[in-house]
Amino acid sequence: MASLSSDEWRAICDKFTNAQNLTEVESRNDPENDPFRSKYKARELLREIYCSLKSFEVSEGEEDGGGESAGLRAAKLGAVEYYLGVNHVDTEELSAGQEHLMNCMKLLGRCSVSSENVSLFIHVRNQLGILWAGRDETETAQGFLETAESIYQHYMKEDGSPPTDMTEYFTTEEKLLTHQERTKRFELAYTHTMYYLAQVYKNLGQTERAATYCHSTLQRQLQLNQFNPMEWALNAATLSQYYITKGRYMEGRHCLSAATVISGLAGEVPSEATENERREQLRQKRAEIARCWIKYCLNLLQDAKKLLEDNIGELDTDRQDELKRARRGEEEEEEKGRKSALLFGSEDTFDSIASLEEKVRCLFPLDFTEARAVFLVGQNYVTQAKEYFQMDGYVTDHIEILQDHSALFRALAFFEEDLERRCKMHKRRVDMLEPICTDLNAQYYLMIRRQLMFELAETYSEMMDLKLTLANRQADTQSLDSHTIKKFNHLCSASAKYFQMFLDSLCSPEGKVPEHLEEEVLRPALVARFRVARLHSRLISSSPSVQLDNLNRSLENYKYVVQYCETHPEAATTVETELELSKEMVGLLPLKINRLKARMAANN
Amino acid sequence: MAGASVKVAVRVRPFNSRETGRNAKCVIQMQGNTTCISNPKQPKDGAKNFTFDYSYWSHTTVDDPSFASQRQVYKDIGEEMLLHAFEGYNVCIFAYGQTGAGKSYTMMGKQEPGQEGIIPQLCEDLFQRTGENTDPDLTYSVEVSYMEIYCERVRDLLNPKSQGTLRVREHPILGPYVEDLSKLAVTGFTDIRDLMDAGNKARTVAATNMNETSSRSHAVFTIVFTQKRRDQMTSLDTEKVSKISLVDLAGSERADSSGAKGTRLKEGANINKSLTTLGKVISALAEMQSSKKRKSDFIPYRDSVLTWLLKENLGGNSRTAMIAALSPADINYEETLSTLRYADRAKQIRCNAVINEDPNAKLIRELKAEVERLRNLLFSQGLQELQQQQWHRWCRGFDPLPAAAGPHSQWDHA
Repeated sequence: MASLSSDEWRAICDKFTNAQNLTEVESRNDPENDPFRSKYKARELLREIYCSLKSFEVSEGEEDGGGESAGLRAAKLGAVEYYLGVNHVDTEELSAGQEHLMNCMKLLGRCSVSSENVSLFIHVRNQLGILWAGRDETETAQGFLETAESIYQHYMKEDGSPPTDMTEYFTTEEKLLTHQERTKRFELAYTHTMYYLAQVYKNLGQTERAATYCHSTLQRQLQLNQFNPMEWALNAATLSQYYITKGRYMEGRHCLSAATVISGLAGEVPSEATENERREQLRQKRAEIARCWIKYCLNLLQDAKKLLEDNIGELDTDRQDELKRARRGEEEEEEKGRKSALLFGSEDTFDSIASLEEKVRCLFPLDFTEARAVFLVGQNYVTQAKEYFQMDGYVTDHIEILQDHSALFRALAFFEEDLERRCKMHKRRVDMLEPICTDLNAQYYLMIRRQLMFELAETYSEMMDLKLTLANRQADTQSLDSHTIKKFNHLCSASAKYFQMFLDSLCSPEGKVPEHLEEEVLRPALVARFRVARLHSRLISSSPSVQLDNLNRSLENYKYVVQYCETHPEAATTVETELELSKEMVGLLPLKINRLKARMAANN
Repeated sequence: MAGASVKVAVRVRPFNSRETGRNAKCVIQMQGNTTCISNPKQPKDGAKNFTFDYSYWSHTTVDDPSFASQRQVYKDIGEEMLLHAFEGYNVCIFAYGQTGAGKSYTMMGKQEPGQEGIIPQLCEDLFQRTGENTDPDLTYSVEVSYMEIYCERVRDLLNPKSQGTLRVREHPILGPYVEDLSKLAVTGFTDIRDLMDAGNKARTVAATNMNETSSRSHAVFTIVFTQKRRDQMTSLDTEKVSKISLVDLAGSERADSSGAKGTRLKEGANINKSLTTLGKVISALAEMQSSKKRKSDFIPYRDSVLTWLLKENLGGNSRTAMIAALSPADINYEETLSTLRYADRAKQIRCNAVINEDPNAKLIRELKAEVERLRNLLFSQGLQELQQQQWHRWCRGFDPLPAAAGPHSQWDHA
């Protein structure tokens, strides 16, 4: 730096410090109607620095080295281009931003990677990755980011020393950063690279890879101690959901346990919000983590059910024995798996995370006792989640939690061998959902009400079948006592009522039945008709005129299914089996009806 | 119009002064409802074509026969929405696009003849129609709200002095609402016009290099339209309530204008810069994964305020239209292309609520058995009857049967 006097150099350093301050600190206070005021000022300063450096370069052109390497000079100029680039992008001038960032790339292109410039190599590619992704050019973005990734990995392998941070290009000797700080900033840049790559892979549909990168991002945040506990916890809980959708319960459980442990660390971190807001946020996020746990338990039970059920949805005891035998080998696999999987945490947290994991299984429950244990964990989290997500204020969330609770019961019922107890579980579901269905505003909560109606209809049907099975088991004869018949009919009608309510909800505000059923409701609507038809034909009555009425209603609904599929051929594929059966019934029921009519006429 | 999907229109405006100052070239062409955009840096590449419900050419002037005026946009889109509202549906129209592309002009427009946007035209039309009513049993009431969502905070534009941010909540009877948001009754167009003006003045508008009046926030103008009909015979009142939401979104190029990019409206390929959005990204992974599984198996990302408030508009009982505003200039090529792609994706938005059905294998099996039984029963009974009939005929010496005897449909079995 022989040509530039130390005063001139100091001036440049000061300008740079000002520019950083304007960009990072002052800009937060910019008024809403002039939001880029500080950044425009910073831009001017950066431009001035650029000009000074450029003019210095020209006059120094003939000398060799002259105190600093050509590489370092290029890096400094490149850094200014970088900051100008980011400045333009931040102020929504994307094309100009791109130009500056590409200039930076060109300058660096003449140099090889060293500890003096590797940080800039990575940062500029991160920014270009973001920019191109924003224009939907995902592959271009991928290119920049993957290069940044390999530069990092190569550097760490070949060199690994704490590299110069870009801010140090314009500081005086005394203010240089410690090795620790340099490493921290460099690693943070790479954490961002991983995070951006995660997003790119997600956009390319490579979910597996994306999830791995998300996982690594989370891991790095913990290791480098660069995280906000509540945010981290929520992200880890969300990641568990990805694993759950892939059936990887061990990883899912690990994420959730880590999330719970880390969320406990929140509370001491200062934030900008008021005390009340902060506490509210904490409570909300903890409740959200509880909901992720509910999903874990629910999915585990449901996937176990899928493995164990036979072709009509009952527990297959042979398969159960088979799986129990196979499981003994699996437990050892689990241990090995844990070690190889990416574990979260640090020395203090490893143990707490592990002890939480021990509270719930990650292998499929294969009998009632095991299922019940999972159910209870899930139910406990339901209670927690509902404390925050109360009906008044969070209608949708509250109901979704109830739906999950109902689903937990349903899944548990599958494992319950005693039919009476099974029926009681379904009754719990009805008691939980029925009042809500009636009380909700029909217009605003149309979608949710439809779901509830359908679920109530199916649950009543389930109970009806159970009652019948119980009654038939108790008596050897086919005849049922009047009490059972009354109960049966009540459940049958209730089921039909809710299917009908669902169908009514599809009508226009004037009450007109839709001529064309939308894709999302097509199958449910036709199935509802089919079920109503079936239910009406099952109602038990000793009065022939009532029987006739029921049969007619049954026929009417089977006919609807057949006719709709005739006028809408594409619908037939969604309800093949039901259509086939409906056609049969449309053919057979009239005979039954006529026979009944004949008997009635004969008796008069 | 198909119920649950979004109607999409794009509209290209004339050059603005910044673009003219830079000798910008026009990269947009329109033919019918197709829009094409050519890459100014790669003229050899073919132009990209997009088809929408409407492609509005507003780049030239009224003298051009293909020019799409404010009136035309209203007639095509606004009017249809208003009619749906009269039917009792909730409706939503929103404007999307880069800062300065013409969103506010399309939605609000200017207070000059022929330059008024959808919102004032819709309001005027609403009062025109209600004014034409001569039926004493039919009464109307209209209430409006106007709010702004800036950095996830909600501000009441009709009461801008109110402190703090308004909370967004859900009530089982009242539905989703904004706590303490002013809801003012209006009896005519001038009332609404005055409120709109006051609200517009209170909007957060900023001057940046890109646009002198950049809108930094989403503005949501809501009309709650109630139609009450008295049934003379029963003396009962029936009520139809529809909510009309008219949304002017913040500039799409803003990294955090996340209102338009919530999980309900499919994510663009944007990268979120800040690690604070890691959760959103992760959540999207689960969503993508679950196309084979039921969508209720995971919790969707907590939507931004805007999508949360509007989610009812993506359901079965409402209608939604989106107008994407485009800059014609080559210097905005990338952003314009991005808007076109977003609009293209919007055509496929559907409501997400799914009915989960229990598997009914058991039911099917039972019914099949029932069908078998029924067939056998009727067949065997029919056979008995046939034998009886034949016996009677034989007894009578082959006399034909009286016409009324027995069920005739027996052998009509298809």
